[in-house]
Amino acid sequence: MLNYIWAALLISAFVFAGVSDIGDLSRDTYRNGQPLPVVLEFPQGTAAIDGRTQVRIRINAGVYQDFYGTDESPAASYDGVLLRTGEGMVLRFDAGAALPEPLETIRGVSRSNDDELQGTVEGFLTPVLGLGDDPTAAEATVQFEPVRFVKMTAIGAAALDFAETAAGIAIGLIGVLALFLGVMKIAEEAGIIYAIVRVVRPVLRPLFPDVPDDHPALGMIALNLTANVFGLGNAATPFGIKAMEELQKLNPSEDTATNPMVMLLAVNTASVQLVPPVLLLALLGLQINRLIFAIIITTGLSLLVAIIAARLYGKLPGSRASDPNRKRPFGEQPREAGRDSRRGEG
Amino acid sequence: MELARELIGLFSAFVIPVILVGFPLYGLYKRVPVYETFVEGAKEGFGVAVRIIPYLVAILFAIGMFRASGAMDALIALLNPVLEPIGFPAEVLPMAIIRPLTGSGSAGLVADMVARYGEDSLFVKMAAVMFGSTETTFYVVAVYFGAVNIKRTRHAIPAGLTADIAAMLFAVWVVRLLFG
Repeated sequence: MLNYIWAALLISAFVFAGVSDIGDLSRDTYRNGQPLPVVLEFPQGTAAIDGRTQVRIRINAGVYQDFYGTDESPAASYDGVLLRTGEGMVLRFDAGAALPEPLETIRGVSRSNDDELQGTVEGFLTPVLGLGDDPTAAEATVQFEPVRFVKMTAIGAAALDFAETAAGIAIGLIGVLALFLGVMKIAEEAGIIYAIVRVVRPVLRPLFPDVPDDHPALGMIALNLTANVFGLGNAATPFGIKAMEELQKLNPSEDTATNPMVMLLAVNTASVQLVPPVLLLALLGLQINRLIFAIIITTGLSLLVAIIAARLYGKLPGSRASDPNRKRPFGEQPREAGRDSRRGEG
Repeated sequence: MELARELIGLFSAFVIPVILVGFPLYGLYKRVPVYETFVEGAKEGFGVAVRIIPYLVAILFAIGMFRASGAMDALIALLNPVLEPIGFPAEVLPMAIIRPLTGSGSAGLVADMVARYGEDSLFVKMAAVMFGSTETTFYVVAVYFGAVNIKRTRHAIPAGLTADIAAMLFAVWVVRLLFG
């Protein structure tokens, strides 16, 4: 299943990026090779133009919309600098300027080292001639670097970016994982897990019928769900992983999920929460008080759906055929010889 | 309601300290060499984290490419005519689609919606309930199955996504019912 979803994500990303880039090229969205008309104002007067001059850039909204065939309009004026370089005059918009599309996208390509939109000034006459009765302004046209295959570049960049993020997330988990796995080891040695198992068995039993009665997996699952209920995501993850490891000890297969594993996952993605995530609290503030009730109802209902779905889908022919416990004789615990439940995983 | 929230808040403040202090204390009582046992267990932390890296990378980079390509917007445009008749507003559809894919992305979306529609709007409430009542399904799959090297996930994703879809619909209806 994951195979198909994964492939679908990648293929649709590639196809969409390609289609949208070819569309951009055929519509000439970025007007590659055509200079944009602007008016430059020189607050210090035109006489002061030298290697680096402060300017105010005005783009007429009507001209802009006609030029790019868009509804967006630029701000009244932008601050920038005019640079005299070996290749001619270069106009730079200040970094952080709020640009309308497609200029915003163009900035991603045609830019200085500091992420400022820049283009070469063409049709700019030196010495500068005053514009109308304003001797400190002049008309000019700016030529940006051509923009091609924006989306293709973007999906490539996104892939690299997210790969880095993924490793970062995993590395960031090390400390919390170590902390809770350490405490869980103590709990295991002291027999706390078995005490918990006895308490939660009546509740979890119906959900995990394939797990033996006194198996520590039930205790780990209980801790995982408790942490989830109290909105302690950081603690829930190590417990969940530990629960998975316990379930894996019951799994005759190396790489195929068992029904209890799927159930644990379904219950986790439904995420029953009495305490809202800290992130939501930070975003909405005290408004969250009024939403708690709605969240609890929704999460409760979706938990029910998760349980039913996990159970129901497990009965489908496809899931039955791939069940690692399928070939076991009935009544027999699915445990391979020499695979004691107390043995640690690799 | 207020009291219940206070109590829950109190409980949740105590859960972690009670586990972190109570378990070793009980271990001590049971004559477990607590420090050595802790260190032995904690050693696994690094291994687990490293083990999930390939799974997380596989899932996250695919989602990143999918988002960057604009396919997400196309999916939203495609689903909107189907969902509009059952009272599912187009404004919260992006949230419903992004939520199972990325946690930080959907949090950003809530922030964005607060800025656009105002903190008190129905849309923000729906999005917040969606955020609060579901998990990042693909992340959970990658981390939990990755930790035990499970590659064939069988019906885990369909079950998780079914629950997610149900949660999104419930979120819209419950918010309509309570605030609409």
